[in-house]
Amino acid sequence: MIMERKNFLKSLLVGAVSAPALLSACGKDADEVTPSTDSSTTGTTGGTTTTGSGNCTVAPTETEGPFPTKVPASYVRSDITDGRTGYKMTAKISITNSNSSCAALAGALVDIWHCDAEGNYSEYGGSGMQSTNYTSVHFLRGRQTTDANGLVTFTSIFPGWYSGRATHIHVHVYTASGTSLKITQIAFPEGTSSAVVAVNGYKKGMTGYTYNKSDNVFSDDTAGVEIATVTGNTTDGFQLTISLGVPA
Amino acid sequence: MPDRTITLCYRKIIDSSAVKPWEKMVFEDTYAEFRLQAQYYNQEQKYRSYGELLQHVPGADKLPFLVSAAMRGYLQQLKDIVPDIVDNLGRHFLPFSKFQFELINSDLLDKARHQIGINFYSEPLRWHDTLGAYLLVSLQPQVASDVLTHLVALQPYLAIYSLQAEAQNHEADTR
Repeated sequence: MIMERKNFLKSLLVGAVSAPALLSACGKDADEVTPSTDSSTTGTTGGTTTTGSGNCTVAPTETEGPFPTKVPASYVRSDITDGRTGYKMTAKISITNSNSSCAALAGALVDIWHCDAEGNYSEYGGSGMQSTNYTSVHFLRGRQTTDANGLVTFTSIFPGWYSGRATHIHVHVYTASGTSLKITQIAFPEGTSSAVVAVNGYKKGMTGYTYNKSDNVFSDDTAGVEIATVTGNTTDGFQLTISLGVPA
Repeated sequence: MPDRTITLCYRKIIDSSAVKPWEKMVFEDTYAEFRLQAQYYNQEQKYRSYGELLQHVPGADKLPFLVSAAMRGYLQQLKDIVPDIVDNLGRHFLPFSKFQFELINSDLLDKARHQIGINFYSEPLRWHDTLGAYLLVSLQPQVASDVLTHLVALQPYLAIYSLQAEAQNHEADTR
């Protein structure tokens, strides 16, 4: 304890001795204080008074750069796999305009997201600290812009399933300027020769699986318009195609 | 004071007053992404602010995660060095590899109310001494007997985030 106090007093002394030099160093650039955009957030903090020098710190004095460049959101990519393991699946989604005789809708933004083989979405546990090295936090989420034929193509894995839901892919279609046009989900065909049966829930099997007719989203789709066409097999991968009409 | 190992946290607030190019791009792109993503939680268009969505719509707490995809690419442009924080020689020096993105406020109809925070968590530093309002720290690991140090000022939005306590007997030895 005594030693600590002595050290404390010593540190004060050192601080006092070095203070004039430090103050003169920060005096000339006082208007370029580092966190200059902060004032509107929490107002003046107690720290300003206790540190004595406030936020008077040396301004950056370095060679200019690196020069920032515009970067799209990490969703903008065709391959959304991000290292998730599973059977390869190519999804081709055509967007048509239901207000214009179902003509192809070019330039629309299409977001998709689905769960991994275990039935987990990337957002689970995603609200905490992230590592810059681990770039695949937004796995199995992607965004593409429709081409002249209204088509977007994603490369992913066949989704797993989780309790209470049939296999599905979420879709959100926006105008080019970002106005929501349609929020929907893509269902998968069922039956003995279907991909859902072939994949067999990966390691889970199909015990406890929710089929489309019992699914709280798909059960009212008696015409099956939300059900995609899925071909392929577990060796070569699967191809999913569906056309979605949106009111643009 | 015996040396201790600490990590620092710098909470960088970006709002409509941003002037630097990097900050402006992060501001614009996170706002655009918020407007895209928020529509999923606002399908009846009853709400306009992030605060309202958070209070009334289950799952809206995922919005910071969803919006953070708009700024990950910008983080990589920083090359793992915390922005704004310089040592007393005026150089950026503080390495980081972990961050946390926050939506503080936003409003679907008023961009001026969009405000985000990026928390930068530094790599571990050796804290040797405190000189006035300055921490004397060094980056690790260093093996030379002459340890190269940085003087960094305590300042608003910069705090010691974690402290790795030294073994008590080490402290006793120095008495």
